[in-house]
Amino acid sequence: MPFNWQQYKSGEFYDELFEAPGKPRPAADNLVKYLTKMSPQDLKTRRTAAELTIKLMGISFTVYSEGQMIDRAWPFDIIPRIIPLSEWQTVEAGLKQRVEALNLFIQDIYNDQKIIKDKVFPRHLIERSTNFRKQCMGVSPPLKTWAHICGSDLVRGGDGVMYVLEDNLRVPSGVSYMLENRLVTKRVFPEVFQTTNIMPVDDYATQLYETLSNLSPRRTKKPVIALLTPGIYNSAYFEHAYLAQQMGIELVIGSDLFTDSDDCVYMKTIKGPQRVDVIYRRIDDLFLDPEAFNKDSMLGTPGLMRSWLKGKVALANAPGAGVADDKVVYTYVPDFIKYYLGEDPILPNVPSYRCYLKKERDYVLENIDKLVVKPANESGGYGMLVGPHSTKAEQNKFRELIKAKPRNYIAQPTLALSTAPTLIGRGIAPRHLDLRPFILSGKKRYVTTGGLTRVALVKGSLVVNSSQGGGSKDTWIVDTGKTDKPKKTKPYTQSRTTQKPGKGKA
Amino acid sequence: MLSRVAENLYWFGRYLERAENTARLINVNTYLLLDMPKIITPGWLPLVEISGNEAAFNRSYKESSEENVLKFLITDPENPDSILSTLRFARENLRTTRDVTQREVWELVNDLYYDVRDEGHRCITRQQRNEYLTEIIRGVQLIVGTLFTGTSYDNAFKFMRLGFNIEQADMTTRILDITSQDLLPHQQDELASLQNIQWMSVLKSLTAYQMYRRHVRTRVNGPSVLKFLLQDRAFPRSVLFGLSRNESLIRQLPNNKAPLNHLNKLKRTIKAADVRALSEHGLHEFVDEIQLGLSALHNSYGETYFYC
Repeated sequence: MPFNWQQYKSGEFYDELFEAPGKPRPAADNLVKYLTKMSPQDLKTRRTAAELTIKLMGISFTVYSEGQMIDRAWPFDIIPRIIPLSEWQTVEAGLKQRVEALNLFIQDIYNDQKIIKDKVFPRHLIERSTNFRKQCMGVSPPLKTWAHICGSDLVRGGDGVMYVLEDNLRVPSGVSYMLENRLVTKRVFPEVFQTTNIMPVDDYATQLYETLSNLSPRRTKKPVIALLTPGIYNSAYFEHAYLAQQMGIELVIGSDLFTDSDDCVYMKTIKGPQRVDVIYRRIDDLFLDPEAFNKDSMLGTPGLMRSWLKGKVALANAPGAGVADDKVVYTYVPDFIKYYLGEDPILPNVPSYRCYLKKERDYVLENIDKLVVKPANESGGYGMLVGPHSTKAEQNKFRELIKAKPRNYIAQPTLALSTAPTLIGRGIAPRHLDLRPFILSGKKRYVTTGGLTRVALVKGSLVVNSSQGGGSKDTWIVDTGKTDKPKKTKPYTQSRTTQKPGKGKA
Repeated sequence: MLSRVAENLYWFGRYLERAENTARLINVNTYLLLDMPKIITPGWLPLVEISGNEAAFNRSYKESSEENVLKFLITDPENPDSILSTLRFARENLRTTRDVTQREVWELVNDLYYDVRDEGHRCITRQQRNEYLTEIIRGVQLIVGTLFTGTSYDNAFKFMRLGFNIEQADMTTRILDITSQDLLPHQQDELASLQNIQWMSVLKSLTAYQMYRRHVRTRVNGPSVLKFLLQDRAFPRSVLFGLSRNESLIRQLPNNKAPLNHLNKLKRTIKAADVRALSEHGLHEFVDEIQLGLSALHNSYGETYFYC
């Protein structure tokens, strides 16, 4: 017996596929019609097919558990998340605007610091930022761009509005899973791709290659580009290998490279040293170059900073770009947009309390049980407190942490994250999700079509990180023709007279 | 191309080829035992000796029963040369070079690795074992075939092929070595026919039997088989063929002087082999000599291309 969609209820939460129980949103109409015909057994079969594909394609991420590195298959839910194209175009414009402002901010901070002089942004926040790199002062990288690859996390609240939750400007990951999810879905639900106008996502590798080659210090037709990975034990190694392969660039580890006395970076090849122009580094600043940062780093290459500062090699993202990744800095992004671009932000921030301001801190300390408290410089969902799901002891611990280092914390109201139908056991249930689109900044700006949808597979959970039990879904940007009435046009058909016998379907 | 990547691809080639040849080696021994009179029990330990891992075997197992030896050779993760281990290493080497290999190859290697890992129990009974090992051999050949038909013949593939060919030369000598075990009875009349059975299984294990028949045109006998598997210029699993392949690949790579010297020396030794004498005695020592030569060649690849 097929699943009864009338029973699917997301309660007070905004659901991405349903307006009301039994009433799919227009962009999801075809998908729901298709799913309605399927029995739980059919769905299970498709899910098994997806799992098999994932295993076969070796889509995995690595987790460190009980003293061992484990390669886990990528957890994936077969029911896609759908966003109508008309809405997406606004989101896309908002992301471009945001990333432009962020890059202007970073360039300003490491050079003239006008925004500080104009008292729009307080100086002390920079001085205590763990991601501020004093070595970058006075540097102007190619195209004055610092964050070439940005992954911004979007969430939809109970009001149906898309908010920006954070911007990842250091080494954001997940884009390969976005691309792979689409391949898996095409193998699992090929039929829906015929009835629904789903925008393709596979342009990313080409766009990233363009962005990176724009940065080359040498004006050659084919600059030498390498992706620098921490190695096979990094949780995102799969992605590093995948992207290097898709772009046809070298995948290197620190020991494959060296900086010579001419301050150029070379890679060790079977023919001897070869100069490298652009490095897409997937190693954090502090491990990038033992000469400049963490002396004990085994991951990086000595001299990379020296070479970068002299303009002999381009690094993407630029060292120091993480200064704008700080969650306290995040609270100022709407101000950056106004200050640098003279525009109103298209995408809103999640309202945030800055603990370094006494008034806001007092509010946080008083209402900690209702808020989500986040450290300013962590990623992967670590070190945060979800107030409503926490114990009194945990709340007190965070109160002390905040009092000790108010600069290091922000707090946000607990969001009623939107949901989407997710295959759980033999049934379908609503689960909370977010969205991470990727924004590229080179000579032009590019936003992925959709992004990586992450879903919390545990009932009621708001934590979507794959390292903490989250899964993912394919994200469909669907063109419904028009928002309301679809325009009726005659499709082009081959006329009878030109059709040759035996060719094509009669 | 990156030195590290070249090295990983070379090892990928070696491990993949090793997995296939180990499967062949086990298959041939299984058949050999079926054909041998019941009073002769060459047993299974020779297979462990051939792979050169006796110490590791003795650490884990008390007796060299069929079951123990097969577990050790096929699925034991403690044995670095077990089929499962070699496939795991092949997979790890490919994982670090996934950016240069076709996706289909990665999928096939993954698939084969999981199959061998999850179906290991099938290696115990003789009937299922044959099927299981044949699947492994086919699995490897599917990977190799996919590589040869869908990979550009660039430097990356050259290093992989260097690995295939040097490992094949090495494994062919090891398989030949199985005949140097002094296990047969010494009554003249019986001996001849049993020896022939042994040589025939060697040919079959390398799927060389038909080609031998077509090209050698004589009944199966020691000197001819040795000549075919050591010195034949056209059969892809002969030692000389593997070395010549290595030579033509090395000629297309830079800084090739040292590796070519080693290759030429080895080729001279192979060509000069007195197969008639070797079929009587001294084969084991000769195989040792070749393997030392292969190991020197291997080291010269490392010094020239991998650790510069």
